[in-house]
Amino acid sequence: MLRPPLSILTASPSAAAAGDKKHKPVNRRRRMALKQISSNKCFGGLQKVFEHDSVELNCKMKFAIYLPPKAETGKCPALYWLSGLTCTEQNFISKSGYHQAASEHGLVVIAPDTSPRGCNIKGEDESWDFGTGAGFYVDATEDPWKTNYRMYSYVTKELPQLINANFPVDPQRMSIFGHSMGGHGALICTLKNPGKYKSVSAFAPICNPVLCPWGKKAFSGYLGTDQNKWKAYDATHLVNSYPGSQLDILIDQGKDDQFLSDGQLLPDNFIAACTEKKIPVVFRLQEANMICFYCVGNGILNGYDHSYYFIATFITDHIRHHAKYLNA
Amino acid sequence: MEEEAGGAPAMHRSTASKNFHFYHMDLYDFEDRLHIFPEETTRMRREVVQAEMTSEPRGAAKGKPQKELEEEVDELVHLYGLEDDHELGDEFVDENMPRIEVSEYPPYGMMRREPAGEQRDWRLSGEAAEAEDPGFGRWGSAGQCQDLREAYRYTRGRASEEYECYVIPEEEDEEEAADVFCITCKTPVRALEKVFDEHKEHEVTPLNKALEIAKDEIHKNMYKLEKQIIEMENFASHLEEVFITVEENFGRQEQNFESHYNEILETLAQKYEEKIQALGEKKKEKLEALYGQLVICGENLDTCKELMETVEEMCHEEKVDFIKDAVAMADRLGKFLKTKTDIEISAQHDFEDQTLDFSDVEQLMGAINTIPAPSAPVINPQAPNSATGSSVRVCWSLYSDDTVESYQLSYRPVQDGSPGKDQAEFIMTVKETYCSVTNLVPNTQYEFWVTAQNRTGLSPASERAVYMTAPSPPIIKSKEIRSCEEAALICWECGNLNPVDSYTVELSQAATPEASGVTESVVGIPTCEALVQLQPRQRYMIYVRALNVGGPSARSEPATVHTTGSYFHLNKHTCHPWLTISEDGLTVVRSEKKTSAGEPFPSNTRFTRCVAVMGNLIPVRGRHYWEVEVDECLDYTVGVAFEDVPKQKDLGADCFSWCLRHTFASSRHKYEFLHNKTTPDIRITVFPRKLGILLDYENSKLSFFNVDISQHLYTFGCQFRQFVHPCFSLEKPGCLKIHNGISMPKHVTFY
Repeated sequence: MLRPPLSILTASPSAAAAGDKKHKPVNRRRRMALKQISSNKCFGGLQKVFEHDSVELNCKMKFAIYLPPKAETGKCPALYWLSGLTCTEQNFISKSGYHQAASEHGLVVIAPDTSPRGCNIKGEDESWDFGTGAGFYVDATEDPWKTNYRMYSYVTKELPQLINANFPVDPQRMSIFGHSMGGHGALICTLKNPGKYKSVSAFAPICNPVLCPWGKKAFSGYLGTDQNKWKAYDATHLVNSYPGSQLDILIDQGKDDQFLSDGQLLPDNFIAACTEKKIPVVFRLQEANMICFYCVGNGILNGYDHSYYFIATFITDHIRHHAKYLNA
Repeated sequence: MEEEAGGAPAMHRSTASKNFHFYHMDLYDFEDRLHIFPEETTRMRREVVQAEMTSEPRGAAKGKPQKELEEEVDELVHLYGLEDDHELGDEFVDENMPRIEVSEYPPYGMMRREPAGEQRDWRLSGEAAEAEDPGFGRWGSAGQCQDLREAYRYTRGRASEEYECYVIPEEEDEEEAADVFCITCKTPVRALEKVFDEHKEHEVTPLNKALEIAKDEIHKNMYKLEKQIIEMENFASHLEEVFITVEENFGRQEQNFESHYNEILETLAQKYEEKIQALGEKKKEKLEALYGQLVICGENLDTCKELMETVEEMCHEEKVDFIKDAVAMADRLGKFLKTKTDIEISAQHDFEDQTLDFSDVEQLMGAINTIPAPSAPVINPQAPNSATGSSVRVCWSLYSDDTVESYQLSYRPVQDGSPGKDQAEFIMTVKETYCSVTNLVPNTQYEFWVTAQNRTGLSPASERAVYMTAPSPPIIKSKEIRSCEEAALICWECGNLNPVDSYTVELSQAATPEASGVTESVVGIPTCEALVQLQPRQRYMIYVRALNVGGPSARSEPATVHTTGSYFHLNKHTCHPWLTISEDGLTVVRSEKKTSAGEPFPSNTRFTRCVAVMGNLIPVRGRHYWEVEVDECLDYTVGVAFEDVPKQKDLGADCFSWCLRHTFASSRHKYEFLHNKTTPDIRITVFPRKLGILLDYENSKLSFFNVDISQHLYTFGCQFRQFVHPCFSLEKPGCLKIHNGISMPKHVTFY
């Protein structure tokens, strides 16, 4: 619906890549104006943050975008990152250290925020695992969330359209990955839209939200009590209905991730489903090879956990995983 | 003509001005403006001149001084012409004109001279450039000249002869216009002429083109001439050589004759001396004999005379005395008469028939034309690359003085063991100083010696020289060839009983099968193995030759190498006894029954505990990729290991190997990426049926892939301190099929 005028108004890729100022006039009428918040040179490219008025979410949203050096001369594939609970667009771009790999492979990396913000919905800021910072990448159907909490539509439709219209990206080549709740988001976005994403990967994803406390809380809040509706946003269940187009899923999981042992992530269920449906997954349970005797002696876990340190360790593998399909 | 044209209006004006003073002038001026006649007002004239100047883009630089000149001209016209024609328009005019001309000409001449000289200089220096751009210089200058002249004419109303003779060479004007070449008449013509003239029907071509054609023709001829010159020079030097040779040969011949004739003359002189001496002695002897005889004869005569006198005296004596004396006398006479008088001439008066013996001289004379028997020829050592497997080319030389009709070449094989028991000797007769001896045994030493012969006789034998036949061609072990994208490791068998010196490997790219041209060869390989550098993704034919002092052998049978991917075979020597390797060396099978057999003895080369086999990957650093077909339910281990990996341990159990181990138990698949007994915890949902393995020395990585879905499974980061080889192990009965010699899939290149 927004696409035709957008594409007409789109400046040439190079203009979009080169000119910060040129982004503003684009589509002023459609409330899609981009406002640059920051721009920093990084590994030859630019790490930028923009703000815009989201139609889906009915609020101002920020997103981060990295434009690699290659984007100055041509269209690049787009790789979407979905962050986990409590995160904003900042966590990933400041902590994961993905820029070098993205610069080398020539990928435009987009990291949106994790939920609508400032919508003045009662209870949105009450807990860290629901409401603000915990959109769970679903389209809420329950009041009072359903007008704003439409993160699924935002990340699968509105944001890609905005990006395609304003930045030098190739709309035919996009992939998605994420962490924790974002890993869940990446998996469901892919499984619900066969062929839309060339590849998918996740760090410690919430693989089976309908069975974990986080998922139950969020889904009942956003989607109501009918658990059948939940399954439409559950990766493990979506695997069963996946038609089986070519997919290659890479999942890294820290072995000493407390949320793994808390049963929030449940990767085994997902792996079992994929094994049954023959959906290719490489699941790597990462542990440190080094043994810290102090830690061992004091009962401290010293394997990879749920943090961005863990993400930073394997981010290059994931970028390469996507580059393999995006640059094929 | 021009003077008249210039002069007429002035005259007309002067006459007219008497009758119609102002009116006529105005009318006249008016007419001028209408027709733009040469006799315009000065103001108009200047405009025209300037317009012409500016509309002349060629020779802009040149035009500048001329433009200035124009202005000067105009100024002068202002000074003089204007006053003449208009202000002082009546009877003064006629008188004025010559006066003005007198005062006018010298400055004109001076001014003209300078630029004219410049122009000519410029034209001269520009002549070379004109060849390339014939239009530019000439047209520019000519155009300028024309302009100047016209301007002058306009301003003065008459032409300046002086001006013309300095500036305008008229015949050049003609030439400038010729811009096409009439092929029919073989002459340059003007394009306009072509349209209107006799060249109308003729074939023409642009002058430039004609020029090029002519130049080409000349260049060709020059080329021919150069060639001829070279040939002639060669011939001349050849002639010189021949001249010198002839001179030398004749010189030598002359010397030869001279010495021969001197010899003969000496011999004759000696004979003469001998004869003369002999004759003299004979003469002396004879004369002495005769003289002696004469003396004796005289004595006898005296004695006779004395006896006669004595007898006569006795006759005059008395009887008694007479008788007494007579008796004595009678005794004496009797005695005397008894002595025989020798009246035979002791020496023959005539010359004994001396037969002169010239036989030796004759022989000498003969020796001028006949020749001595040759001396022993000198046999050459074997020339490199002169032998083949079954033949050698033996060469020798003779002393230049010798004349030889034929040579006898003898040879026999050199035997190390029993010199006493000689091999059969072979003898060949040849006319040349070389001989190709055939039907020999390859890679064998033969002893050769040679004698020369002419009608005078046989020379002694030469020294003996040992020649060697070239080896037999080696035999490439096609099944042991290993290759990768950049190189191939070729092995071969010597093919000869005796050792050879070295081997040569020849490569030809087999893109064109009919062209057997060798593109590259590697020489001086001491062993029966060579690693040759190749280009990726090509097909090569590879040949090997063996070399010894005699030369190279014939080419071996070719082996084909494809430099697509890496290519290796399973190494039988490492194979666990329970495994069998297929004929093509790419499939390994562990059958059911053999498992009952006992543990084999430990070995350093053969796997004894782990039921494994190694592939012999080419020892080249770079990237190697191969695939292994596996059964989903099979227990197997695939990966890489150092050649000296302990053969009594499991693969992956130490730091000498990096492996993917798959175990299938109670319907659970377990994939371990083992090195030094440790593995990351990796779960795979789609079980590979074909594993891709990428060994990357450059980045020190070993990666595993599920080929069918292009899935990356795991990458080892590993330091390969030495070369590794693929290894394959079967923990349960089953088989592994290796696919290699395949190019790396694109998705693999990301790891």
